[in-house]
Amino acid sequence: MQLTLQILANGLLLGGLYALLAVGLTLIFGVLRVVNFAHAEFMMLGMFGVYWVWRMTGLDPYLAVLVVTPLILLVGIVCDRLIIQRTIGAPEVTVVFATLGLSIFLQNAALMLWTADIRSVTTPYSAMVLTPFGLRVSVPMLISFAVAMLAAAGLWLFLSRTLYGKAVQAVAQNREAAALMGINVRRVYLWTFSVAVAAAGTMGGLIAPLFTVYPRVGMSYIVTVFVIVVLGGLGSVPGAVLAALLIGLIEAAAGFLFGAAWAELSYFLIFLAVLIARPQGFFGRRGAEVFAGR
Amino acid sequence: MSLGQPNGLRWSLVVALPVAVALLAIPAVVTDVFWLGLGITVLMWAALATAWNISAGLAGGLSLGHAAYFGVGAYTATLLFLRLGVSPWLGLLVGAALAGALGAAIGAITFRLRGPFFVLATLAFGIVVHIAAVNWRELTRGAAGLLLPFGGGAQNMLFAGIAPYWYIGLGLLALTLGVTVAIRRSQLGYYLVALREDEDAARALGVRVVRCKVAASAISAALTACGGAFYATYIQYIDPSSTTQFEISVQIALVAIVGGLGTTLGPALGAVVVVPLGEILRAWLGGGPALMLYALMLIVIVLAAPYGVLGLLQRLVARLRSGRGPRGAAQGSGGRA
Amino acid sequence: MLEVRGVTVDFHGLRAVDDASFRVDEGRIAGLIGPNGAGKTTLFNTVSGMIKPSAGSVRFEGRDLARLDPADRSRLGIGRTFQIVKPFGGLSVRDNVLVGALTRGQSVGEARRTAEATLERLDMARLADVRAASLPLALRKRLELARALATGPRLLLLDEIMGGLNPTEVNETLALIRALNAEGLTLLIIEHNMHAIMQIAETVLVLNQGRIIAQGPPAAVTRDPQVIAVYLGVPLEPA
Repeated sequence: MQLTLQILANGLLLGGLYALLAVGLTLIFGVLRVVNFAHAEFMMLGMFGVYWVWRMTGLDPYLAVLVVTPLILLVGIVCDRLIIQRTIGAPEVTVVFATLGLSIFLQNAALMLWTADIRSVTTPYSAMVLTPFGLRVSVPMLISFAVAMLAAAGLWLFLSRTLYGKAVQAVAQNREAAALMGINVRRVYLWTFSVAVAAAGTMGGLIAPLFTVYPRVGMSYIVTVFVIVVLGGLGSVPGAVLAALLIGLIEAAAGFLFGAAWAELSYFLIFLAVLIARPQGFFGRRGAEVFAGR
Repeated sequence: MSLGQPNGLRWSLVVALPVAVALLAIPAVVTDVFWLGLGITVLMWAALATAWNISAGLAGGLSLGHAAYFGVGAYTATLLFLRLGVSPWLGLLVGAALAGALGAAIGAITFRLRGPFFVLATLAFGIVVHIAAVNWRELTRGAAGLLLPFGGGAQNMLFAGIAPYWYIGLGLLALTLGVTVAIRRSQLGYYLVALREDEDAARALGVRVVRCKVAASAISAALTACGGAFYATYIQYIDPSSTTQFEISVQIALVAIVGGLGTTLGPALGAVVVVPLGEILRAWLGGGPALMLYALMLIVIVLAAPYGVLGLLQRLVARLRSGRGPRGAAQGSGGRA
Repeated sequence: MLEVRGVTVDFHGLRAVDDASFRVDEGRIAGLIGPNGAGKTTLFNTVSGMIKPSAGSVRFEGRDLARLDPADRSRLGIGRTFQIVKPFGGLSVRDNVLVGALTRGQSVGEARRTAEATLERLDMARLADVRAASLPLALRKRLELARALATGPRLLLLDEIMGGLNPTEVNETLALIRALNAEGLTLLIIEHNMHAIMQIAETVLVLNQGRIIAQGPPAAVTRDPQVIAVYLGVPLEPA
């Protein structure tokens, strides 16, 4: 019983971290119809950003996130201007491989700048553990989880409650109609993409005190996040959050029961099964799977 | 992406003959192991990209899981030889059959998926196979890899020198190109292009979607596996990171895209451009910067010339010939601010 | 030859076709008319298999088509055109038609000859090498017809192939339809050009808001009070 609860707690905490990454990815897909293969590289940039700010100035990593996130936003704006905007309406091969190229580029840029060394951020509370009801919960994990959930909720409120968010949704539903209604579609793209990747940067910053930092760290997240986003229904924000928690649980449970390799294998198999049986995911609208097709 | 131009075919035969003779003579002229080795690598990637193009260019499914088939070919040939003493020549065929069956299965379950969903499904499939290759240690020895014994002899596709591999690689490329041309001129080729252009219209004309996509996927997978078996006997050592890794899938696609997605010779041409460039960049700048430039090249190509170098040339020719703007004018222009 | 019984199509709670029943006998020309959004194309789609009806059955030569997809139905001899034309834009006009001929079971060489003969008949032979994407709309509509004919259909469904044509072209198309019919082809035609449809159709079906409100010979249908009410303001010309 105790063990089950512990696994549940670990899984939920992990899932919460995935959620922030997944929400951005699903938004980019929902609005721009672009599968952003480079998404986790922005997370990697966020991790490195926080690492260097902490290393150079000794600033607390959680405060460093506040410095780093706007920087990632800037990188996102540049990438959107140079690459993403140009893929809109282009053939599928462009849409897929432009972001894949961006991913390889950013990974190797990081490799060149910061070498392949594995680095980690340590704080006085790195090893601190809370023990509610006899469960062991890492303090930095809890902080990161809380901030990630708050950021995801903020994004969701922004989309559903603000005028600008409504414009984003209008573009997601019908690009042409939104343009006719006077919505600046290009600007919606710009902000959706850069805010979503900035959120990925935030997530990176949040996990910097938890996990090691290295240039290829994004690789181990991106596919998991794809699994989450498809499970939740590409384009669905609440779907992404729920699926992230679910995948976190599956990963924790399968990892404990069968070992890490089987955990990975199990959710890829689930992923394939979902794609085949219900490609719109569990929360997506039917028909989304045929978008962006020729 | 034009199809069925008998003139173009006759023209290419006139060019192909001298080219073929020159290619056959290369090992006699180029004796330096580095350069001949580079040539063999080019041939292999040319064959792999051509095989990928059958699925991606003709059938329109941008697979990012082809490393799986490559791995199946490499591991089948290697394991059959190491465990059962079966000649890799035969192992190559078994691997191709296995990969073909796998490709057919993947084709059958992914044919409905469009755009990014197809890409993600193939990507996940590739990763499943990679995880299996890394973790099924009893079979694959995991990350430690498998070594083929030196000097197995011609009957075992294991040669001491590398010149024979030039000819095998050449044969492999000829096979993939031959299959591509045969498909394009066959019923299947017309159906695939019709499906890619407009699935509803094709179905209304009696084109059976599942059958066509399964066939294309199986053929592409089987040919890719042949490339895998070739790689295993040429390098004589395989491990997951050199066979089933995601990067292999990306590289296969990259080569084909740079050359010209959907064209017959484009993917092979892409290997001639990309592989030596990659080697030069690596030697000159080291791995990281080389990959950065690689990535940059990929981005620029897909943004500026999504149908690759050959596609670009073909479009120019078509434009000159018909005097009208090609279809491509409508695409790609949408993204400029 | 074609028997549609009680076909109903629901789209997300919206009834696009409501309990439609009709038949088209072999060798006949039937017209399907109705205001925009009446459900004509949807009804067509249930016959060609693009849409599965929520209820009802479609039979072709006595055979229930429920389990057959569009490709199978085409191979049985049901050809169709699309109102919103769907050319294979990257292919030449000849190759567009060739695809249709291939599904008859012809070899590529035979299919090429069939395609060329079909193009000849439709007076498009000189366009054989042109990329389909560069054709003007009127010719794309004719290409739709050519492709469908190349499959060797026994029943041909035409979806507004005369829209946007000038009077001479309309007359040419009518002559062609008559000639095809004289060779034994059965036709079901959706048409907005009332004058044209009344000239060739032996039976006319009138669809309004998903329901068939009248069917019969053109002369009778145009006098039907319900039809007149639907078309109030639109002059109906008897044949």
